[in-house]
Amino acid sequence: MLFNSRYFIRFILIPVGILFYSLSAMGQCTLRFSGFVRDADTRVPLQNATIRMENGQELASDSNGYFILKGLCPGKIDLEISHVGCLSQLFHLHLKEDGKQDFLLPHASNQLSEVVVVGQGNVSQSGFSEQVSGRALDRTRGQSLAESMQHVAGVSMLQTGTNIYKPVIHGLHSNRIIILNNGIRQEGQQWGSEHAPEIDPFIANRISVIKGAASLRYGSDAIGGVVLVEPKLLPVLPGITGEINAAAFSNNRQGVLSAMVEGASTKHPAFAWRLQGSAKRGGNARTPNYWLANSGVSEYNFSAAAAMRTAHRGIEVFISQFNTSLGIFAGSHIGNVTDLQNAINEGQPPANIRNVGFNYNIGRPNQEIQHTLGKVKVFKSTGDIGRLNATISIQQNKRKEYDLLRFANSNILPQLDMDLVTVATDIVWDHYAGEKWRGTIGVNAAYQRNLYFRRFFIPNYQAINAGGFIVEKYNTGKWLFEGGIRFDSRSIFNTDRNGGFTYEDKYFNSLSGNTGVTYTFNEKLQTFFNASTAWRAPQVNELYSDGLHHGAARIETGNAGLKAERANSVMGGVKYTHKRLSVEASVYYKHIDDFIYLRPTFPPQLTIRGAFPAFNYAQTNARLSGLDLSIVYNFNNHFSYNGKLALLRAWDKNAKDWLVQMPSDRFENHLKYLFSDSKKFKQTFIGISLQSVLRQSRIPATGTIEILKPDGTISLEADYAPPPGAYHLTSIEFGSTMQCKSQPIQIILGSNNLFNIAYRDYLNAFRYFSDDMGRNIFLKLQLPLNL
Amino acid sequence: MKHVLKISFFLVAGSLLFSSCRKKSDDDDNEVELITTVNLTFTPVAGGSSRIFTFRDVDGEGGAAPTIFQDISLAPNTAYNMSLQLLDETKTPPDNITEEVKKEDNEHQFYFVPAGGAAITISNLNADRNGLPLGVTSTWTTAAVSNGTVRIVLKHKPGNKKAGDAITVGDTDIDLAWPARIQ
Repeated sequence: MLFNSRYFIRFILIPVGILFYSLSAMGQCTLRFSGFVRDADTRVPLQNATIRMENGQELASDSNGYFILKGLCPGKIDLEISHVGCLSQLFHLHLKEDGKQDFLLPHASNQLSEVVVVGQGNVSQSGFSEQVSGRALDRTRGQSLAESMQHVAGVSMLQTGTNIYKPVIHGLHSNRIIILNNGIRQEGQQWGSEHAPEIDPFIANRISVIKGAASLRYGSDAIGGVVLVEPKLLPVLPGITGEINAAAFSNNRQGVLSAMVEGASTKHPAFAWRLQGSAKRGGNARTPNYWLANSGVSEYNFSAAAAMRTAHRGIEVFISQFNTSLGIFAGSHIGNVTDLQNAINEGQPPANIRNVGFNYNIGRPNQEIQHTLGKVKVFKSTGDIGRLNATISIQQNKRKEYDLLRFANSNILPQLDMDLVTVATDIVWDHYAGEKWRGTIGVNAAYQRNLYFRRFFIPNYQAINAGGFIVEKYNTGKWLFEGGIRFDSRSIFNTDRNGGFTYEDKYFNSLSGNTGVTYTFNEKLQTFFNASTAWRAPQVNELYSDGLHHGAARIETGNAGLKAERANSVMGGVKYTHKRLSVEASVYYKHIDDFIYLRPTFPPQLTIRGAFPAFNYAQTNARLSGLDLSIVYNFNNHFSYNGKLALLRAWDKNAKDWLVQMPSDRFENHLKYLFSDSKKFKQTFIGISLQSVLRQSRIPATGTIEILKPDGTISLEADYAPPPGAYHLTSIEFGSTMQCKSQPIQIILGSNNLFNIAYRDYLNAFRYFSDDMGRNIFLKLQLPLNL
Repeated sequence: MKHVLKISFFLVAGSLLFSSCRKKSDDDDNEVELITTVNLTFTPVAGGSSRIFTFRDVDGEGGAAPTIFQDISLAPNTAYNMSLQLLDETKTPPDNITEEVKKEDNEHQFYFVPAGGAAITISNLNADRNGLPLGVTSTWTTAAVSNGTVRIVLKHKPGNKKAGDAITVGDTDIDLAWPARIQ
């Protein structure tokens, strides 16, 4: 029957340790290591199992489950072996001559958790990194990046309608999160709450979330966390393979198609390439009671990658482009604060918007965004002790936002039009010389320039960011210590408005630091602790924005006097795995001094369109603390339970009140039944989950927004409408991998919001205007191709 | 070598994806479309000289506060013909937005709501092509000496204008609570 991991460790790791006793051949990286990967249960060879080395080299097993790694250096090797539907396994080997070893992968049913905690080569291993990959990621195919990671405990979403989703980690988002797209820091106009990350989730083979400020590798300003969007590594085995993904969604009649083809040259195995593209088209979404007029979306993306590499040196080139056009729900584009109050009091969109029905048209208001990324990376081994990596990238982000047309013959130019170009480079040396020490030293620099056309919201500017860091780890087996320090400098210059007005230049620089320790009591219990200090320079929108934020119906004014904010945080956690039970819990406590936020000002600002609530950027001291918990229990080999809980308390220490716009407490219960494999159907499962989001009761008690009460009195509130009530969504899923002759087809059929419940989410900016999406039935197919 | 060539090809192809530096034209300095100015012209029905009252906010919503917001000042017990003019003064010469409103009169509607004690009755709004009220011109009749406001609202209702629409229907293009004095 199925194996549990303890047995597995005995069964595999000990023989592996015995196998690689010492002999000869030191110094030269010419060794080979090969083996077969089989299903621990059935002993069937596993095709396309992924064998990933810690240096990033990755290959897939062939139809016999066979793999061979070539050009290995003597010494320590860490392998991660994974396969769809199986639990990925980490193996630690010492290689002194050519080696052979067979690997058995246990079925995931035993210990399935959608999110597997792994140590990352370059990031904190202190247990605060979670990832979405394999089948868990397959299940989110066709959805946006933020939706793909929303089931990680501690992650929520900032939403603007049904098309714009931004990830929120521990209550922080936008400028406080770094998203790395294939190793490159995504530079869009990420400050806007209705500016979603411009990334095609189909690029990702794995999405990792590093919670908190535990990563110094990518910049200090990620005081909320880091999201790594990692593509599959390029193939090593000669031949051409591919994959087709298709998804259909009933709610907005959305279709998504993605295709990927990749290969490695037979003549020159060092050369590998990949082409990938995806397209998406969706129409108006539907709440349980009405359609959301003008909520369609279209997206097309492509990427191309090529690499030439040996074990010692290599060059990789990557190009991608993301294009989206999305409608902004017609009922959200209101005039002024009076219109907003009317919309809220009405409780549903006006009849002429409610009754539009379904169509695929994207009318105004809408957004058009194009993001292009180009990257070249070279690496070279520095003897046996490390590897030097140098990367240069260029990104261009073009964002065009169109308001409602005022007149039929109005100029069709976008009202808001911004063009952001970023050129970034980094040089990083990974070293892994000793048995116990490893680390990374590096410098990064980036130049950025923004141009705007027509309406002013943020100025033209140029900026230079430069930083240097060192992160070191010391591992004794039971103890893992790590620490790092980073210095960053940011300057913003040539900041001006079209037509002349110039702002003064700004310079910020400071240090950040991080220290962590992990103690492994035994194979059941592991504890970890991390303390960090990080800072973030105010961004251009926080310093200089000035204008009407249309999506939000408010006037935002920057504050040129802002200081940098600093986050000092501690996190601690525990991982316990024993027999059928697996528990992961972490707590965090974060002080953010000079926390930059939008403060409502009084009175509302007079414009020709009436009074608009006005906000300016201000600073306070904030405290964010919370708990993330995940529990997996396997009743037997077929039936499992997974529960998740995320709590957050966000407190304004100066005002002695709660912070506004923070995710409420939420939990998720997931039951799954895995059927025994038959000849034709493998990894067949049925799952049901219940997601509960509580009403946010922790909101500021008072504010400066005048709300007319039904009894005619006026009260001062911090928000236009109170937080919506709690909601509970049920989703159901059925999946299987069918074997049609030699062609496997993975199929997932399911429904979100199964009972078509009308709900609104506190973090959805459109909660003032409409309900959220109703029932959404989906069908997803995945076809791996052997060409 | 062949592969180096392939990779260079990749690089060149890639650089073509990035559009070259964009030059700004003068048009890029200004908003696409703005209503910066509202002029109210009052002419006594019985004849006499006109009075003009102006609202002006040249940088649009947000930014600097409106530069001019003149109180409406009318004589008591008098009937006035009032005509509205909307301008975009960021353009040279200023764009006359009133003409645009008239061209799409079946999608626009002005509302006039006296409040706060201003003794003014507003009637006789001119009609659109479908006979529904438009309000580019109207008749204002004052009563006794008093102070208050007149809220002037322009709604845009593409395909949605109906008889008896409430003031809440449509998108707001203008919404000004105009101080008014009858003296």
